[in-house]
Amino acid sequence: MKFISDKNLRKWLESLMGIGSLIAPMDLGPGLTLFSQIRDPGDVNLEYETTPIPPKDLFFPSSEALFRFSPSRGYEIPEIDGEAFLLGIRPCDALGIRLMDFPFLSEPADPRYERRRRRTTLIGLGCIKARPECFCTSFGIGPFDASNADAFLIPVKGGFLAEARTEKGAKALAAAELEEASIPIPKPPEVPSIDVGAVREVALSLFNSPYWERLADRCLSCKLCAYVCPSCYCFDIRDYPIRDGAERIRSWDSCQSPLFSRQASGYDPRQTKASRLRNRFYHKFSYFPGEFGAFGCTGCGRCVRYCPVNIDVREVLLAILRGEAKVA
Amino acid sequence: MSDHEPRVLGFLCNWCSYAGADLAGTSRIQYPPNIRIIRVPCSGRVDPLLVIKAFERGFDGVLVSGCHPGDCHYTQGNYYARRRLAILRDLLEFIGIEGDRFRVEWVSAAEGQRFARIVADFVMRLKELGPRR
Amino acid sequence: MEEIRAKAIELLRSGEVKCFIGYERASDGLTARPFFAYSADDAGRLIFDRTCAHNLARYLPDMRGQRVAILVKPCDSRSVNVLIQEGQVNREEVYVVGVVCDGVYKASWGQPSQELEARCLYCSRRVPVVYDHLIGQPPASEPQTPASIPEVEALERRSAKERWEFWRSHFARCIRCNACRQICPACYCPQCFSDQLDPLWTGIRIGLPQNWVWNVGRALHLAGRCADCGGCERACPMGIPLAALNRKLAGRVKELFGFEAGLDPRAPFPFATFKKEEVL
Repeated sequence: MKFISDKNLRKWLESLMGIGSLIAPMDLGPGLTLFSQIRDPGDVNLEYETTPIPPKDLFFPSSEALFRFSPSRGYEIPEIDGEAFLLGIRPCDALGIRLMDFPFLSEPADPRYERRRRRTTLIGLGCIKARPECFCTSFGIGPFDASNADAFLIPVKGGFLAEARTEKGAKALAAAELEEASIPIPKPPEVPSIDVGAVREVALSLFNSPYWERLADRCLSCKLCAYVCPSCYCFDIRDYPIRDGAERIRSWDSCQSPLFSRQASGYDPRQTKASRLRNRFYHKFSYFPGEFGAFGCTGCGRCVRYCPVNIDVREVLLAILRGEAKVA
Repeated sequence: MSDHEPRVLGFLCNWCSYAGADLAGTSRIQYPPNIRIIRVPCSGRVDPLLVIKAFERGFDGVLVSGCHPGDCHYTQGNYYARRRLAILRDLLEFIGIEGDRFRVEWVSAAEGQRFARIVADFVMRLKELGPRR
Repeated sequence: MEEIRAKAIELLRSGEVKCFIGYERASDGLTARPFFAYSADDAGRLIFDRTCAHNLARYLPDMRGQRVAILVKPCDSRSVNVLIQEGQVNREEVYVVGVVCDGVYKASWGQPSQELEARCLYCSRRVPVVYDHLIGQPPASEPQTPASIPEVEALERRSAKERWEFWRSHFARCIRCNACRQICPACYCPQCFSDQLDPLWTGIRIGLPQNWVWNVGRALHLAGRCADCGGCERACPMGIPLAALNRKLAGRVKELFGFEAGLDPRAPFPFATFKKEEVL
């Protein structure tokens, strides 16, 4: 473990900005922090509580043109910027990126995602405070889990303990004036954990439980939970005309939208709010693990905190595990 | 005043204002060529979203023109339009599109002169306002 | 609270309604969330306090064809009237339990607050405008409240250019999660203009200028229909001050047409009528 003082942090960030773009949490208004491109290192907020949107959009943007075509200019693929440093990513959000790697980097890999992933160095940030919605420890990580980051910082008095985890991370830290750490690693905050091991098996028997109907009573069928989720990765693709040609747009979409599963014939296999809501949980806790061997949830708690009607994934998990959702 | 040439979109009703614009043409009355005209059956057909969409596409000004109140070919279409477009103007103002960029005018089929004057005034005012941000 | 539970139990036991739509404590143990009680047992979970901010009228169109009871604050009751006025809710199917309200707190999940929501500071109604049963003691007279809305006035005082920048920077952040639309009692269209493919008002792209069209179009469609429940703004994860748009238009509809949404379910909708002599 090395130590970087608050004083040297600014210099380090400046030198990172000389190498590539710096993306870090920045305050945009009262109670609103978002991962943003940094122009002035003074704007970086490494004491942030949470961001409504996880930094997944750095790899999987909310909207992007995959390519353009026109008679005059032919076929063009928009460029992807050079090197980037994603600073201040929490362990849960870093896990989210590893989870997105499963679908996007499995053969055939998504070229745009892959390029962005390769160009970016993830500099993680330990959590010295847990929020009431946190339950990351349920998924094999914790407040100081550095396993999905290239380098990792833990806030201590007067600066940060710093550790490189990969070659990319070592390169990023090499730009910093580091000292030998004299401060011990602090104690991480307690984060409650749900024993999710059995969820997949149990859930399979509850597909037709009336529980989903009741849970969906208050669901609004909006897409908020998916858009704030660090591991939700569904999208829609369509072509739109532009001046003298067209472009193919990929945008976030979600299984919670009634339009998402409607087929060309007009038939929708998930017509009810309950079937859409159930799909959200089954995808995360049954289909995704079946496909990739990991739960599709990071325990960040964003859906808990931001759902306008408080559909709480932790309650759903407990209901499944305790058999409250049993078929009557 | 800038040398900016504003782009204006005009929604003209088939029965009065479009005929009025036509009369301006056949009477060889000069007016600025900055306006692009879309003929609609009635000013009541103009969904406010069309105006919003026109501003999104970068038009500097939008004109909606129909028959004088009381003269609507469909009896009441322009009365409904009048209410809808009044609230639209307030909304546009509030989100930062100056009220002068959106005009609602009543022009009859016999008012070629008036149509030309409205367009000329409108374009002059838009030049004063300058390009939209 | 006890009175609400007792009423719910009575309605559910007698079979008069199939379901009672009210509130229960949210999973943070501090705030409230919508709750659908189907039995007398369920009714024990019902609560009502100043954290009960949701406008439950939003759920009524989902329940069409069944007899349900709903708990409404004065603002929510106006939405019930809007839905009746617009033919989306059958008055005979709904048992309205009104509750006298002194305003709700600006709390969000996990973050309690004792501060009143801004809209409650100028709300002039303590008693719902429609109910079959009233809970609470109506005040001797409705309170005197300021006529103007500070947040709207502050924006009006700015220049057009500043307002343009203000809204553009907010709309640029919009992620089009549709929470504002889905939580709104007045947004019940089977197909929203923003989901239409032809004409293509917004398309799927998330970003300016599509977000601009969506947010401006949304506000426009709520003119004369918004009961100012504040749901859209509370739901927005990106902190966009959506309610200011609705409040501005509600104010203008009142000034121009003397109409306030949801006060009288039989009154003609201001954009479905006109006065020949009016000058606009």
